[in-house]
Amino acid sequence: MQVVIEKVNSKDEEQAVIKAVEITDEISGAVELLEGDSKGFAVSREGKTYIIKASAVYYIESVDKKTFVYTKQGCYDCKYRLYELEVMLGGYFMRCSKSMIINLKKVRNVKSQISGRIDATLLNDEVVVISRGYVKEVKRRLGI
Amino acid sequence: MNKLKLWLEQTMMISFAILVGILIEGLVYSFTGDPLCSFSMSWLQLLSIVITGAVCSIPTLFWLTDDLPRNKFILRIIIHCIGLYAVVALLGFVFKWFEHLDGFIFMTVIYFLVYIFVWLVTLWFHKRDDNRINKALDDIRDDE
Repeated sequence: MQVVIEKVNSKDEEQAVIKAVEITDEISGAVELLEGDSKGFAVSREGKTYIIKASAVYYIESVDKKTFVYTKQGCYDCKYRLYELEVMLGGYFMRCSKSMIINLKKVRNVKSQISGRIDATLLNDEVVVISRGYVKEVKRRLGI
Repeated sequence: MNKLKLWLEQTMMISFAILVGILIEGLVYSFTGDPLCSFSMSWLQLLSIVITGAVCSIPTLFWLTDDLPRNKFILRIIIHCIGLYAVVALLGFVFKWFEHLDGFIFMTVIYFLVYIFVWLVTLWFHKRDDNRINKALDDIRDDE
């Protein structure tokens, strides 16, 4: 497929137009990736509801059947389950353990432990663990 | 399927390391002018090496694949190393790898060299994966 990239002056002008005979898995994946950052979803904190963009999320954790979304501004409650968010966000959001979804775009670096699990240091200096069972998927998402 | 793949990988790695150990043994005897330098190997001995590699890989699948904190994992490695040494000594006795004490000592030295070799290779794989993942993350990381 021919790809044309045109430079624009502002973020508001950014858009992607895909012309295709049919929607293949690759195209769906590309759409998912492109839309991922702009998708928003509802979260709440101290009784107030907010819509946050997926691009603001560092990671999402499930504790005692409650879902918590972590951003630079802090932690929010979320009504969605992890598996719903995983489908909804797609792209670079992926499971890193049974109870956590990580935004790969917010990972500063990774370091493998002797046990095979990976410690991922996020841009906010928090360290989250990528279980060894999910390492293969991380590599696949990154095209390795 | 992953466990089967891991088992085959470990079997090949351990078998290869044992063969390298035997090669080193042959070279040592050769340089010291020992008449044993002209020793030969039968197919049965080669088969016994592969069987040892396969048997020694089994505990790894169930003992060293859990996500554990570093300290607990290192403790497991120590127990694994000692337990496996007992298994190898038993298999060595069954397959008649040694007849005298010096042969047993040599086998012991080779065992620990192989054990260290396998871990060094594993750590090298981890390091290589870290570099590849970090490089891929550099391309997608958000600016903050």
